Amino acid sequence: MVVENLSIVSLVLNASVLVQAVMGILFLASVISWVMIVQRGFYLSAAQRDFKTFEETFWSGIDLNSLYREISESHQENQSTTGIENIFRAGFREFHRLTQANKTPADAIMESTDRAMRIALSREEENLSTHLPFLASVASVSPYIGLFGTVWGIMNSFRGLAMVQQATLATVAPGISEALIATAMGLFAAIPAVIAYNRYAALAERIYGSYETFADEFSSILYRQVHAR
Amino acid sequence: MGRLYTYLIGAVVSVLLHLAVITALWVQWESPADDVFIQPNYVAAELVQLAPKAPPKQPPKASRSPADITREKRRQKEAAQRSIEKLKKEKDLARKKEREKVELAKRAAEQLRQQEADEKQRREQKAFDDLLAQEAAAQDEQDNERAANSYRQIIQKRLSENWSRPPRARRGMSAQVRIRLVPTGRVVGVLIVKSSGDPAFDQSVEQAVYKAAPFIELQAMDSRLFELKFRSVDVAFSPEDLRL
Repeated sequence: MVVENLSIVSLVLNASVLVQAVMGILFLASVISWVMIVQRGFYLSAAQRDFKTFEETFWSGIDLNSLYREISESHQENQSTTGIENIFRAGFREFHRLTQANKTPADAIMESTDRAMRIALSREEENLSTHLPFLASVASVSPYIGLFGTVWGIMNSFRGLAMVQQATLATVAPGISEALIATAMGLFAAIPAVIAYNRYAALAERIYGSYETFADEFSSILYRQVHAR
Repeated sequence: MGRLYTYLIGAVVSVLLHLAVITALWVQWESPADDVFIQPNYVAAELVQLAPKAPPKQPPKASRSPADITREKRRQKEAAQRSIEKLKKEKDLARKKEREKVELAKRAAEQLRQQEADEKQRREQKAFDDLLAQEAAAQDEQDNERAANSYRQIIQKRLSENWSRPPRARRGMSAQVRIRLVPTGRVVGVLIVKSSGDPAFDQSVEQAVYKAAPFIELQAMDSRLFELKFRSVDVAFSPEDLRL
């Protein structure tokens, strides 16, 4: 009787090339998806935090001109501006530019301002949901890739079983064991990706919603200003 | 700038996490790997009967001795009768010497009786010795049996491990084979004593024996025990654990 060395390393090393390739893909997918998970986590929580602080300064009664100047300066110094600041800057710049021209009708000013803010909003939405499709793909596809590796490995070990005279469990067990590692890796990659995707998708939606609300409120403030002239 | 920074942190965290998982698996899988021993699940072949080479001769003292004694007695009585008849003839022939003859006959009878008593004592002694020898033999037999049983178990285990039952095997089927062994443990002959009725089944049984051979464990056996019990071994194969 053969005492099988069933350490995970030897199992992985003894697997067939295709199964090894599957394992490699899954491992890579897992590593990259974790990079995305951490990065998105930082980005989204930062966006949420920045939105709160910006809203506080915005509603604290600060002069909009000075706020705009502050943001523009930080933008020109190539410091990163947060999503909500970008929206505010886009809207206010358009509004400012058109009110300077003096002859522009009020409706045209508001329309143009709204459009500028809408563009900035869609750009921010893009930023919020970057990498989320990747996480979704890893979440849904990697179990299938793992399953493919497992099916292939088991197929091979059963084909080997057909060759031998004395069919015992010991002849197929290592093959099946090594094949099942592929499924385990697929699930290992998929589960965090599913959780992260669900969580981050919901978070991004919420942040985008609050951006929209802010844009509407800001638009109504500018509307009042334009008609008060 | 800040974007790149978060990616860097993400990469570091991800790589560290995966390294931790790999090392954890490594450590955990490495230790039980030493004693992972795959025990195949075999069909048990029951060693139903191992016919002893020579039927143990059991001279039951109780049945043999009385018969002997009576036979002996009868013989001696006849002899006595003969001598008495002879005496009577002599008495007829020579009445004068009757006295002496009677005396002589008496002496002869006395001698005969003495002889008979001696014989009886000898016989009793012999019976006692027989009993002792028998007891010793029984004890010996018991020891042999115990030693033989362990070897039988080895043979049984090896046979059942190497027996691949044919698909047509059913519960209740049974084939008996006689395996002829030599002291090195090699199998020199396999004979189907009782066929199961299915040629494939018989064939598989025969193959199992040849596949299990040689029984090198038998080399350690006492040669006397081998001659007594393992020169030829009868084994019955029956698939007991079939669920059909």
